[in-house]
Amino acid sequence: MRSQPAWARGAVWVALLLVVLTLAACAPESATTTVAGSPTTAAGGANLGDTLNIATWPNYHDPDTIAKFTAETGVNVNVSVFGSTEEMEALLRAGNSGIDIVVPTHYAVPAWIEDGLIEQLDYAAMGNPDLSNWNPLFIDQPFDPGNVYSIPKNWGTTGIIYSPKVGTPVTSWKDFFARAADDLSGRSVIVDHQISTIGSAAVAMGYDLNTVDPAELADIEAMLIALKPHLWAISSDVQPPLRNGDSWLSMAWTGDGVQVVRDNPDFAYVIPDDGGELWVDNWTVAADAPHRDAAYAFLKFILQPENSAADTAYILFPHANPAVLGLLPPEVANNPVIYPDQADIARMTLSSAEAYNSQARAEMWARVKSSS
Amino acid sequence: MVTKTEGEEAGSTKVAGSSGKVSAERGLHRLFLALMAPGLVWYAVFLAAPMVVLAIFSLGRRAPNGGYQAALTLEQYAALPTRWVPFVNTVRLGLIGTLLCLLVAYPLSYYMATRGGKRKTQLLAMVVIPFWTSFLIRTYAWVFLLGNHGVPEVLRLLGFGDVRLLNNSFAVLVGIVYNYLPLMVLPIYVSLERVDPALRQASKDLGAGPWRTFRQITLPLSAPGIVSGGLLVFVPVLGEYLIPVLLGGGQTYFLGNALADLFFQSRNWPFGAAVAVTFILLIMVLIVAYMRFANKLIAEGREVPLL
Repeated sequence: MRSQPAWARGAVWVALLLVVLTLAACAPESATTTVAGSPTTAAGGANLGDTLNIATWPNYHDPDTIAKFTAETGVNVNVSVFGSTEEMEALLRAGNSGIDIVVPTHYAVPAWIEDGLIEQLDYAAMGNPDLSNWNPLFIDQPFDPGNVYSIPKNWGTTGIIYSPKVGTPVTSWKDFFARAADDLSGRSVIVDHQISTIGSAAVAMGYDLNTVDPAELADIEAMLIALKPHLWAISSDVQPPLRNGDSWLSMAWTGDGVQVVRDNPDFAYVIPDDGGELWVDNWTVAADAPHRDAAYAFLKFILQPENSAADTAYILFPHANPAVLGLLPPEVANNPVIYPDQADIARMTLSSAEAYNSQARAEMWARVKSSS
Repeated sequence: MVTKTEGEEAGSTKVAGSSGKVSAERGLHRLFLALMAPGLVWYAVFLAAPMVVLAIFSLGRRAPNGGYQAALTLEQYAALPTRWVPFVNTVRLGLIGTLLCLLVAYPLSYYMATRGGKRKTQLLAMVVIPFWTSFLIRTYAWVFLLGNHGVPEVLRLLGFGDVRLLNNSFAVLVGIVYNYLPLMVLPIYVSLERVDPALRQASKDLGAGPWRTFRQITLPLSAPGIVSGGLLVFVPVLGEYLIPVLLGGGQTYFLGNALADLFFQSRNWPFGAAVAVTFILLIMVLIVAYMRFANKLIAEGREVPLL
C-alpha cells in the first residue's frame, strides 16, 4: 500500500523543516525595544535628531522617565539590553554598532578608555554636573580618576541571599563556602561570573577580592572544585531556584536580593562581614556615537536628581548622588537591601580591571566549570 | 591561400552552425547561475565568510584588553588540550542523547507508519505542533518539572527517597531527547512509510517470525531514515548551549558553553576561534566518516537521503 500521495510525503518534509527552523530560532542574546514617543520637535530649538541608542542591562531604566525625555526633546530612545558588560564590549569592539550611550560595570572602563571605545565626557553639554558630594566609594576611583569618561548610574553589591530554612544565619563568605559544602550541600548556588565568584571565594579564604596571585588562585581553584559536587547550580539566574525552594543559600547581586526579599520577606540579603565585591554601572558615551548631541541631552536630563530618583525608584538599585536619596520614596530609601549601612559597604572592595582581564582567572573558572 | 580561406570559411560555418547550440547552452547556464545565485550568495555571506574570519582570528593573539590582535601564530591551537574535558563531555552526551532519541523515536515512527491508518496526519501533527512554542520556554518548563518540587516530590511520596533530577547529565539528556525527538521521528517515519506492507506479508507467508521479519525486512529498509535521523540529531546537539545552561545548571559543561565563555567572560577571541575551527573540522570529518560507514552498511550502496 504505497498509497500515501506525494503531497503527504512533501508535508513530512515541510514539517521537518519547520522543526529545524523552530530549533534554530533559539533564545536571542539581546533584545531591542523602542520607547516610542510623540515626534514633537526638539524643545529649546536645539537640533538633537530623533534617535538615541542605549546599550544597557535588562530592566535598568524607568520607561516613564525615558518617555518624559522623549516628550521634552522629540528624541526616541532605543534601549538594547545585554546580560553582561562583556556582551556590550563585544558589540563596541566589533565597531559601527550605532550605539550612543553604554552602561558598563566599572571594571571594564579602564580597558575601554585605553582602547578608545568611549570618549571623554563633555561636562558642559551635560550642564556641568557636580559629583563632589556623591558617595566617595564610587567617585574618582582608580577605574576612572576624576570621572573623565564615566559617571555612575547605579551601584550594587555581591551579597548572600538565604531562606529561613538554613537555620543559623549565614553572615560571611567564610560561612557561605563552609556551609555550602557542609550542612547546605545540594542547596547552594554560586553565580556564573568569575569576578564575583572567584572574588568572593578569595575573600572567604582571607585573600584579596581581586587576587591574580598564582598560588592564591590555585588554592581557590582547589576549594571551588571540591565544592562543586555540593552545589545545586553554578548559574547567574539565581531567583528561580530560591523562589521554588530548590536552593536555600545563594550568592547574588543587589537586584536579585531586592526582588527576592520583597516577595519573600522571611528571606534575607546580607552584606558579608568579611567584605566582598562592590560594583557600579556607569554612563559612558561611545567614541563613534552617531547621535552625540542626543546622548548628551539625555545625560543632562537623567543626571537631574528628580529624574535619577524616578529611575532609581523604578529599578531599585542604589544611586550614588545624595540628592537622589532625598527624593526617593521612604520605602526605597530606607530599604536596607537597597541602601545598606555605609559602614557595611565600606568593608567591600570595587572589583578591579585587572581581575576582569585576567586570563589566569578566566582559565581557572573554565577548569572549575569543566570539573565533575 | 585559397584552401586556407575555404578552410576558414568551412570552420566559420561550423562555428556558426554550433553557435546557436552554444548560445542556447550558455543561456541555460546563465539561467542556472541566476537561479543558484541567492543560494550561493547565502552560503558565501553566512557560511564561507564567517569561516574565513574564524580561521584568520584563530591564528591571532588576544589583544591586551581582550578581543583580537593580528598575528600569525599557532599558540591558540597549542592551547586546545585545555578544552579536552568539555569536548569529551559534549561527544559522550551527544552520542548517548542520539541513541536515546533513536530508542524513543523508532517505536513511535513504526506505530505511526504501520498502525497510523487514517490518523497518520494527526499523529504527525502531534509530533510537530509542540515545536511551535519557543525552544527556550519549553526547556525552561523542564526546570520546574525536574526541580525538587516536580517529579522528585512525587518520587519522594512514592517512597524512593531523595532523588536529584535537575542540574546534572540526566537532565541534559532529558532536554536533548525532548527537544530533538522530531528530527529523529520524521526521517524514520518517512522511510518506514515507504516500506511496502506486502513485503512483511510475504515474509510471514514464507515462515519468518515477527522478529525475523523485523530484522531482515523492516529494519534494513528503514536504515536510511535511522542514518539521516542520527545525523540530524547528533550534529546540532554537539553545538548545544542552552540545554546545558538551563538543565545542567553549570554542572555539565559543553563545548558550546566553553565557546560562549571564551568569547564573553574571557574575551579571548583568537582562542575561541581556534576551538571553533577545530570543532567544525572534527564534525565535518565525523560526518563524512559516518556517511561512508552508513552507506556501506545499507545494502547495495543505497543513497542515504540527507534532506
